Amino acid sequence: MTELLDSIGYGQWILHALVLLPLLGVVPVLLGPESSAKWTALIVTTLELVLSLGLWWALDPARGTLQLVSNTPWIPDWGISYRVGIDGISLVMVLLTTALMPISVLGSWHNITRQERGFYAMMLTLLTGLVGVFLALDLFVFYIYFEVVLIPMYFIIGIWGGPNRLYAAIKFFIYTMAGSLLMLVAIVALVWRIQSVTGYVSFSYDHVLQHAGAVGPLAAWLFAAFAIAFAIKVPIFPFHTWLPDAHVEAPTAGSVLLAAVMLKIGTYGFLRFAVPFFPQVALSPTVSRIVVVLAVIGIIYGALVAMVQPDIKKLVAYSSVSHLGFVMLGIWGGTLQSVQGSLMVMISHGFSTGALFLLIGMIYERRHTRLIADYGGIARVVPVFSLIFTVVALSSIGLPGLNGFVGEFLVLLGSFAAYPLATVLATTGVIFAAAYLLWALQRMIFYRLDNPENERLTDLNGRELAMMVPLLVGIVWLGLYPAPVLRRMEPAAKRYIQLTQPARAATPVAVTGSTVEVRP
Amino acid sequence: MNRIDLGSPLGITIALLPEILLSGWALIVLLVVSWRHQTAQDSRLAGWLALAGLLVSGAGLAALWVSGAAPDGLAQMVALDPFRYGASAIALLAAAGTVLLSLGYLERERLLAPEYYPLVLLATAGMMFLAGAEDLIVLFLGLEVMSVAVYVLAGYNRSDPFSSEAALKYFLIGAFASGFLLYGIALAYGTTGTTNLSLIGAQLSGRPIPLMAALGLGLLLIGMGFKISAVPFHMWAPDVYDGSPTPVSGFMATGVKAAAFAALVRVLMEAFPSAIELWQPVIAALAIASMVVGNLIALAQRSLKRMLAYSSIAHAGYMLVAVWTGTHVGAGAVLLYLLAYGLTTLASFGFLTALGRGGERDVTYDDIAGLAASRPAIAFGLSVCMLSLLGFPGTVGFIGKWYILTATVAEGQMILPVILVLASVLSAGYYLPVVMAMYMRPSPSAERHAAVGLSPTAAGAIALSVAAVLLFGLWPSGLLKLAGASARTLTQTALPLAGQ
Repeated sequence: MTELLDSIGYGQWILHALVLLPLLGVVPVLLGPESSAKWTALIVTTLELVLSLGLWWALDPARGTLQLVSNTPWIPDWGISYRVGIDGISLVMVLLTTALMPISVLGSWHNITRQERGFYAMMLTLLTGLVGVFLALDLFVFYIYFEVVLIPMYFIIGIWGGPNRLYAAIKFFIYTMAGSLLMLVAIVALVWRIQSVTGYVSFSYDHVLQHAGAVGPLAAWLFAAFAIAFAIKVPIFPFHTWLPDAHVEAPTAGSVLLAAVMLKIGTYGFLRFAVPFFPQVALSPTVSRIVVVLAVIGIIYGALVAMVQPDIKKLVAYSSVSHLGFVMLGIWGGTLQSVQGSLMVMISHGFSTGALFLLIGMIYERRHTRLIADYGGIARVVPVFSLIFTVVALSSIGLPGLNGFVGEFLVLLGSFAAYPLATVLATTGVIFAAAYLLWALQRMIFYRLDNPENERLTDLNGRELAMMVPLLVGIVWLGLYPAPVLRRMEPAAKRYIQLTQPARAATPVAVTGSTVEVRP
Repeated sequence: MNRIDLGSPLGITIALLPEILLSGWALIVLLVVSWRHQTAQDSRLAGWLALAGLLVSGAGLAALWVSGAAPDGLAQMVALDPFRYGASAIALLAAAGTVLLSLGYLERERLLAPEYYPLVLLATAGMMFLAGAEDLIVLFLGLEVMSVAVYVLAGYNRSDPFSSEAALKYFLIGAFASGFLLYGIALAYGTTGTTNLSLIGAQLSGRPIPLMAALGLGLLLIGMGFKISAVPFHMWAPDVYDGSPTPVSGFMATGVKAAAFAALVRVLMEAFPSAIELWQPVIAALAIASMVVGNLIALAQRSLKRMLAYSSIAHAGYMLVAVWTGTHVGAGAVLLYLLAYGLTTLASFGFLTALGRGGERDVTYDDIAGLAASRPAIAFGLSVCMLSLLGFPGTVGFIGKWYILTATVAEGQMILPVILVLASVLSAGYYLPVVMAMYMRPSPSAERHAAVGLSPTAAGAIALSVAAVLLFGLWPSGLLKLAGASARTLTQTALPLAGQ
């Protein structure tokens, strides 16, 4: 496979192609007839997925460095270039994005009925932004992608969302923008402070990473700015209040992409930028304590609030707060298991929550209600739906053998040494997750079929099965045999640990010196 | 490099070529319209003539710029540096945009008195004098030539009481501001014995600033503060912007502001560099007040025109942050931001002319609900403008803000940039609802937007501006280089003098 890819020069063009293809796809979507917009979008996103799969082999799994790096000068006077590259972490994030995109398009097939061209154009723009955000290796470029993903999502929520969509859209936008603008100041300050030491302006990730230690006492403020931007995105308690509104009001595809991919930009930001740039601040006892406490609060608070939601979509939205708490705990756990676990939670949360939002979308299309109380006993009417819903819910709870278990188990295992009490408390989050999801499952799927309106529900059709089967395969595969994925991420995770613990690494300068290898 | 002796008649004529061409042309147009001032056709003729005049002046400016002319010895009366050319070019662009917007607008609003166009030309000539003034007297002359013409333009719709109110208000406040400015000039002259900016700088360097000079500086700042509509000298701006014919509001927000900012930067950097400890806190206070107050009040507006007026106060605040630095990078940032803001604001006011009738005073957020469905091009363009004003990546507004941040952070200042970005977040609260209304809210009725439309010339000008906003947002490299290079020469004439 690797030879085949090399023979077509895959490594040289793929990262640009992944960003450009959806953007080019916008043109036929907008110019073509309304009825063919979704087909075009489906073709483009599927093509994107197929193209991106090659990355799995193109990436050298033995190395934790950034690979396939390409550098195009953009604003040379200011040290800005269009610089992209990939490592094990961005690989899985990109694949998660490209895999969920065609499924989201299929999930919008019938529930987006007006301005379809606009909708699918926004979806493709969003795809460009999301892929770009995970590939960017220049702080300026990263910032631009980080902001640009807001626009399509703002429109997706604001135009095609639920009744309270305007409020949700603007809240989502302003929250994220507030954080990211502070990060912008931090980026500029960081680069200029480094410039005053090295005499060289560059927004390149490697350059900043290598010299970030030079910022001195300013580091605490800079880390705070980065951390707030990412904490809002994750979201970490107490920055989470935009999330339930946005998730609930967004159309199905919007919720799927928000939960499955966009939240991960925050945790990815911590792993890629905030912590490696300022490890002394980020991993200092005070900051660690704050983050871990907030993560545990997020895990438990998210779960408890989820439990009392009458609306199933809101329940799933709050469960995201809980799951992302595990990711944060794992990042700060600082061991190979915990970091790998965090990455696994990021992936499997994408699959499980994405699937849950899709299933909620399907049942909502049929009954036009999301209230748990309106359902009950529908297993008898829609057995296939009920079976899939149960499996997905169990994976989200973290049942061994399904994907959710692997990540959360690794996080708990890896973090226990550093934060025993927090880990024990976080474990209750798993129990609460079982409580809220099983309880919801019971009230919706099982019990008596007491609402006559539910008797006329129809079971999943071919299109819906086509969406769910790949997700189910992923859920089971990641649960039973996560080793290949873990292996891909391991060198990158190891490198992250090396970078963030300069005290432990023998020769930190040598480590940072070999950050990037450009493959010919 | 061509040395020009600014003391000789020939030298000063060459140095003032763009201004002379423009003023002369304005007089010719005035002569033409004194015969032909009856029909819509006459008005159009005057408009196209004015546009030709702007082009001719622009050609003169380009020739001067390319020739790389530099003063032989001391720069007397006018500067010969790219900073002046850059600011003058922005004024010319603003004027050209205003003329193109006005062509259809004046006809539609039945404002068929073609003296309008010579006034625009004269105001532009005043702006160019202001931007190039190397002497406080020239600065004052430029300011007055510009202001008097704009007072008349503001009251151009004589049948509309709001327009008359705008003119009167602008005139009274403007006269008041001129008084401050003149007194400041007098005090500066009294202390240093000169009105030449570089000589004032030389006189003041290397010794504690005399009280008189400090007072003069303060009065100059107040006078300029009125013209750039910085808080607390902003009270006139909303009413004047609101009452004036919309293209004139756009002209005031872009051209007048650009010229006044260029003069402010020049005065502070050439005449008062040694007083930087004195004026930095003042500028910082003005900047913070303008950003916070401008944005907060803009949030409360229902009328789009008033919202743009208050937002222009906020943008003056952002630019003051760049002025605060007192460095070349800061001056470059001001120049770039003036261009970015000018392009975007002129296009925004242009879109506003499409939306209403009778001065567009009452166009609210509700009136543009659902516009995207019936007028997709206008909705898209206006959205791009709003995002650019917000400073969103991909637009030139972002590049401008980013340049200001860079200039400020490079000076080790962190508080001003943080206030700037937080103020920008506030501004999302009123820019985004414009986008939201157009795309996300239903139109009240099918024919609601039937009358919305632009004349071909206005559409062309706006389309070019929007394209430039996006293009420079994605490929800002050349623009950044130009702005940086223009600003670098700003005090080269002053520096050697300081040692004398």
